[in-house]
Formats: sequence, structure tokens, C-alpha cells
Amino acid sequence: MTTTLSRTAERTGSVQVRDVRRTFGRGRKQVEALGPVDLDVRAGEFVSIVGPSGCGKSTLLRAIGGLIRPTSGRIELDVVGDHPLAMIFQDYGIYPWKRVLDNVRFGLDIQGVPRREGDLRARDWLERLGLGDFAGSWPHELSGGMRQRVSIARAMTADPEILLMDEPFAALDAQLRALLQEELLQISQRDPRTVLFVTHSLAEAILLADRVVVMSARPGRILLDRQVPFGRPRTPDIRRSPEFAELEDELWQTLRAEVTEQLGTQREALGGASDGSR
Amino acid sequence: MAVVDQASPTSTPARGRTIVRQPSRAELDPERTHRRRRLLETALAIGVPVCLLLLWQAASAWNWIDGRLYPAPTEIGRRGWDLITEGTLWHDLFSTSRRVLLGWALGSAAGAVLGVLMGSSSLLRKALEPTLDALYVVPKLALLPILFNIFGLGEGSQIALVAITVFFFVWIATMAAIMSVPEGYRDGGHVFGAGRWQMFRHVVFPAAAPQMMVGARVAAGVAVLVIVAAEFLVGEDGLGYLIFSSRNLFINDAMFVGIVVVALLGVLFAQVLRLLERVLLPWVDHRDGGSGQ
Repeated sequence: MTTTLSRTAERTGSVQVRDVRRTFGRGRKQVEALGPVDLDVRAGEFVSIVGPSGCGKSTLLRAIGGLIRPTSGRIELDVVGDHPLAMIFQDYGIYPWKRVLDNVRFGLDIQGVPRREGDLRARDWLERLGLGDFAGSWPHELSGGMRQRVSIARAMTADPEILLMDEPFAALDAQLRALLQEELLQISQRDPRTVLFVTHSLAEAILLADRVVVMSARPGRILLDRQVPFGRPRTPDIRRSPEFAELEDELWQTLRAEVTEQLGTQREALGGASDGSR
Repeated sequence: MAVVDQASPTSTPARGRTIVRQPSRAELDPERTHRRRRLLETALAIGVPVCLLLLWQAASAWNWIDGRLYPAPTEIGRRGWDLITEGTLWHDLFSTSRRVLLGWALGSAAGAVLGVLMGSSSLLRKALEPTLDALYVVPKLALLPILFNIFGLGEGSQIALVAITVFFFVWIATMAAIMSVPEGYRDGGHVFGAGRWQMFRHVVFPAAAPQMMVGARVAAGVAVLVIVAAEFLVGEDGLGYLIFSSRNLFINDAMFVGIVVVALLGVLFAQVLRLLERVLLPWVDHRDGGSGQ
């Protein structure tokens, strides 16, 4: 399709988040989950978002993806195509009732891409992610790592302008995780596009991203916004450089203060009333 | 600036556009949205049946339908009031309710016990499942003659019929529920050294209870259905008797009174069970008023 060609010439898909807040529930049960948050992501930029548990990272991502609306503020996505978004979820989000190939082709089916072309593009991504032999398998026949690869393949096959990733590797073991990080690093460098990547892992965030954003405890605001001091293409070896350690340490110090404070308030809440156990 | 067209015609690729995500009314005023939603839901829940009744009344009044065969709601209401004041309706309602409750309780208890046993033991399952499967598909009303032989023509047969019907529903639901208790829950119990009874009391039963309850609730509806048929066949009193004997005597409004009361009885029974479920199983997430069966 022409959108693919035009995009390689000029990157599209930028995100502007302006003063966005989100609350959940009503009345006494109302919880401020997010904000106010301001964030700009340039077209083609890879931004990692880290923050303590429950800080609203996923909420922000879901708001950008249009799964929920902000309670106030405004998000703008500047895009070109009709189907500019794809998202990769923590629990893979692939459908048990579709074979691997059909899962990977899902985004293209939605876009109305003809079956033959869809199959070709889906197979291409399956090959690239080492899943070529599993096109006809059912998801339940695959391991967790392979399922997450299917999920990545599904997103990449759709060729989105903006790719949202919500802790995509959280459910994987450490070795598999390292491996998939490296795969994603390769993919994102060969096929650059706008990515918002939510994770708990600071090393993962730095390795993959052009920019790392640290969010505060709930309601999540942006505490720190750092450019990653490594150009592209880069390799996983940057993990061993002093600059990597330095940035990781800076991010951790910021995050640590937040997590500690969060634990403190939780203890207080537990001491005060037996409420809010969730 | 919902959609932005890029100005220069040739150099830029396809036309760009801006997707805007912003709060809708639901986010800007959640209280109001929630209130309006509740109001709408209540209005619909009351309004739809009322409209149907009005439609029926109108159809009767303008003679779109034969008023002798399908009496107007007001006629039915009047007749219902008569039957209440005469006391016969109370008697029929009481008889039917008693049969339903007794039969349901007996059938549920037996179904739960056998379901738990069969869900826990694969040997027992292998031994009994084919037989029970075969019996399950036999229309229970066809068993009524046999029940007459055992229990005579009175109460016993009718209660037994309800019990047998309910039994199968609860048995299947319970067995499935016990078998689908996640292995992880059992593992926890095993590691802590729980014995058979402790495992059942602390782990398996609570885990299976919500699904068992669904079986019991479905069975409650079927119990009402079956008793009406049984009362028609045995016929001395009860709502089923009221419905069918009125029809034989061409007292159509009394027949409809019976039908309406049976429907109300079924709804009431299901609601009571739902309430019971909330009290007995507080850990189940009952969201959205818990409607779906």
C-alpha cells in the first residue's frame, strides 16, 4: 500500500498530550489515576515510560490509544493513514480462536487488505520473528515467549504509525525477556516508527528508547524526562557502558523516592483505616 | 482543528489528519451521567412491560384480538382480585410454592452431593456418568406414571418430579464446577497439608460454589415449569390446575391470572436465590445488578 512507501520517506505519527487527567469512579470511591500530564512525542521517536505500580502509565497509554477518554485535557495524534495505531498488551491479547497466521493478519483484515497480500505480509513478519513454522498453530500450542512474538508480529504487520506497548515483556522470564528486547531493538531500528513503551524495567527502557520518561506515584505526573545518550543503530552492548549505568542510576533515584513515599502512604492508610485494601 | 489538511499539494505525501482525544460528557460530569443512566435504566425496566400491557389493553379495547380468548389486562386484574378475596388463589399459590420449594430443595441437595462426589472421583464418574447421561435426556414428565406407581397420585409424585428435574441441573453444574476448580488452588491446600475434608471445606467447595449456584438458579425456573405441567396432569389444586381447569371451563381471564401468577412466582424465586447468593457468596463480584443467568 502507498502509506507504507510514503512513510519511509517521511516519518509520521506524532503525539501531543496536553494537561491530561483521568479519574476513575464517582463520589467517595473516586480515584485520581493520572495527571496532569504533558508529553510530546515526535514522529518516529521511541519513548519509554517508567513509573511505580499503579501510577497511571497504562492509563496514559490507553487514553492515547482511545480505549478510555481523559477526564480533562486533550490528546492529539497527527497521523496520515486510516488505521494509524497498534497496541501490544502485557497478556499478549491474541485470540485463542484464531491460528497464528490469522492472528497476525488480524490488523490487515480490519483494514480490509486483500487476503493474499495480508497473508504475505503476515508471513513475512512471522519469518522475521522466527515463527515461520508455526503459522498454522493454535495459540495454546505456543509458549509464552512465542505468544508475545505473535503479538508483536500482529502489531508490526499492521504497519502502524504509532505503536503502543503496555509492559509487553512483563509476563516473560528474564532470559526470554532479554532476548525479545534485543529483537525489538533490531526491529525498531530497521523499521523506525513512533513508539510509546511502558515498562517497569529501567534497563529495558534505556536500551530501547530515544527518551525515557519517569512518572510519579498516583496520580501519575511526569517527574523526569531524559534523552538517552546513545545514537542509532545501537547494540545491546551499550548496557555495559558507564553512561548507561549513570542514566539508569539517575532514573532509579527518582523512582526510588516515589516508591518509598508510596509505601509510606500505604502503611499510613493501613494503620488509619482498614479501608482501601485494593 | 479536528482534521488538518496539509497545504502544499505535491511535495507532502498523503493528507495528514489529527485524531483528538478529549473528555466527553461522561468524563466531564460523571455524577450527572450516572444519574441519567440510572434513570434511563429504571424507566426502561418499568416502561417496557407497562407499554406491552397498554398495547394489550388497547388491542382488546379496539377488538384487534378476541376479548373472549384474550381478555384485557384490566379483566384479568379484576378476576385476580376476585380469586384473591375468595381465597382460592392463595390456596393454589401456596400449594404450588410448597411443591416447588420442597422439590427444589431435595433435588438440589441430591444433585449437589452426587455432583461433588463425581466431580472429585474419576472412578465414580466413569461408573455413573453414562447412566446419568442417558437418564438426563429422558423427558421427566414421562417418568410421572412411574412416580404414580411409587408415590401414589398425590403430593409425593409431584414433588418427586420437581426434585428429579432439579437434580439433573444441579448435578451437572456441580460436577462441572468441581472439575474446573483451578489446580493452583488445590496445590496450595496440598502443600499446607490439608486433608480431604479440609480441602473440600476451605478450597474446593468455595471455589465451585458460584457455578453450583448458577445451576440451582436455572433449576429453579425449570422447577416452576415442570410443576405447572404436573398439576395439569394430576389436577386437584395448584396454579397449573387453575390454568388448565379454567381453560376447560372457558374462564379465560382466570386462566390468565394463573399464567401471570406463575410468571411472578418464577421471577420471585429467582430473585430470592440471587439475594441468597449475595449473602452466602460475598466474594463473588456481582457487578451491574447481576442480571445474566
